[in-house]
Amino acid sequence: MQVDLSVITDHWRFLAYGIGVTIALAAASGAASLALGFLVALARLFGPRWAKPAVVLYIDSMRAVPVLVVLVWTFFALPILTGLTMQPFVAALIGLTVHLAAYAAEIYRAGIESVRRGQTRASLALGMSRPQILRRIVLPQALVRMLPAFGSLLSITIKDTAIASVIAVPEIMRQSETLAGQSFQPIEVYSFAMLVYFLILFPVTRGVDRIYRRVAHLGRS
Amino acid sequence: MNLDWSVVAAHRGVLAAATGMTILLTVATMAIAVPCGIVVASVRLYAWAPLRAMATAYVELFRNLPLILLVYWAFYVLPIATDVGLSPFATGLAALALNVTAYNAETFRAGIGSIRRGQLEAAMALGMSRTQAVRRIVLPQAVRRILPVLASTWVSLFKDTSLVSVIAVPELAYVAMQIRAQTFRVLEMLTAMAAIYWLLGYPQAKLVDWIQRRYAVTE
Repeated sequence: MQVDLSVITDHWRFLAYGIGVTIALAAASGAASLALGFLVALARLFGPRWAKPAVVLYIDSMRAVPVLVVLVWTFFALPILTGLTMQPFVAALIGLTVHLAAYAAEIYRAGIESVRRGQTRASLALGMSRPQILRRIVLPQALVRMLPAFGSLLSITIKDTAIASVIAVPEIMRQSETLAGQSFQPIEVYSFAMLVYFLILFPVTRGVDRIYRRVAHLGRS
Repeated sequence: MNLDWSVVAAHRGVLAAATGMTILLTVATMAIAVPCGIVVASVRLYAWAPLRAMATAYVELFRNLPLILLVYWAFYVLPIATDVGLSPFATGLAALALNVTAYNAETFRAGIGSIRRGQLEAAMALGMSRTQAVRRIVLPQAVRRILPVLASTWVSLFKDTSLVSVIAVPELAYVAMQIRAQTFRVLEMLTAMAAIYWLLGYPQAKLVDWIQRRYAVTE
């Protein structure tokens, strides 16, 4: 077996573009799912009675269906329903966000519920309003406790962006496929992609652990 | 928009076979990944230091790689590197098993590690051998913490089997997308595919919730 790394160095721009798209897609869908997930969690915890079964159905459905299916459906089937065609990147962003927001919502819910009810009652007794309590008493503690779970969600987000290659988003997985097919050097190209993902993901998971260890005491009560 | 749902009914036999393949992949992967996970976790916990480092490296590497990349890598690189030609099914199974073994190893290690050392020491002070203490004191408690995690790994695995569609393993996602390409009934086939995954996955997700409530450990 011969290894010839010139395929990597010759096409570094092509691959670097893919890495950029991976990071952009992960950052955008990560941020969007954090925001959407928060709204979903609020609806589940404090929403009107009729909203709760719908929210639970949405969350459990996303836990039941593969990301691949969500992405493929968003890209190929949704435009038929709506009549609007989408760029692959946009479809991937929507699909990933809708999928990951369900997981984010569960993390928010678990974190918020982990703050003892006595604290909410005490704050009510002190005359605070519900939104005030959430913002000033519950969330500051809950967010710290959620940090490890959000760390693994971030790592899942980055890994899931690779699945967007199936709908032709030019991220690093897709770029590697293209390059491997054109150069007939799959060993070098895919091994390089492995290295790239590992170098992105390992520091992220380790970094979140380290930050959490530093701030964990703030979440105690 | 004209929709023709009869395409789903017309292919029900093929879809059923593909669903069977998805379930077979899930069961076979778990059947490999649980024993292998126990071995890797034991190596990490009890073995000679260089072996321990290798097991740690394996777990960290495979937990930090997207499964779809692993599937491609296994498909293109394994045959060249090892000179063994594997069928797409065997390749997909190998990639899934490598991935899930790493997660299971971490689950077993964390589960065993969560039982305080004092219990092992107390058992040994009572005259049990190390093996006896691990088997009779540590493991029965660790199982209660491991089982809920294994259950949610199971559901993730069930969904992740869809990723081996990229190397043409005839499981549900691959077959549904093939029919889509042949019949041009895109919305119908993709919706049917999502519905089948949902019908199978939803009860599993609910079962996981139940197991997690049932085995919840309160300290």
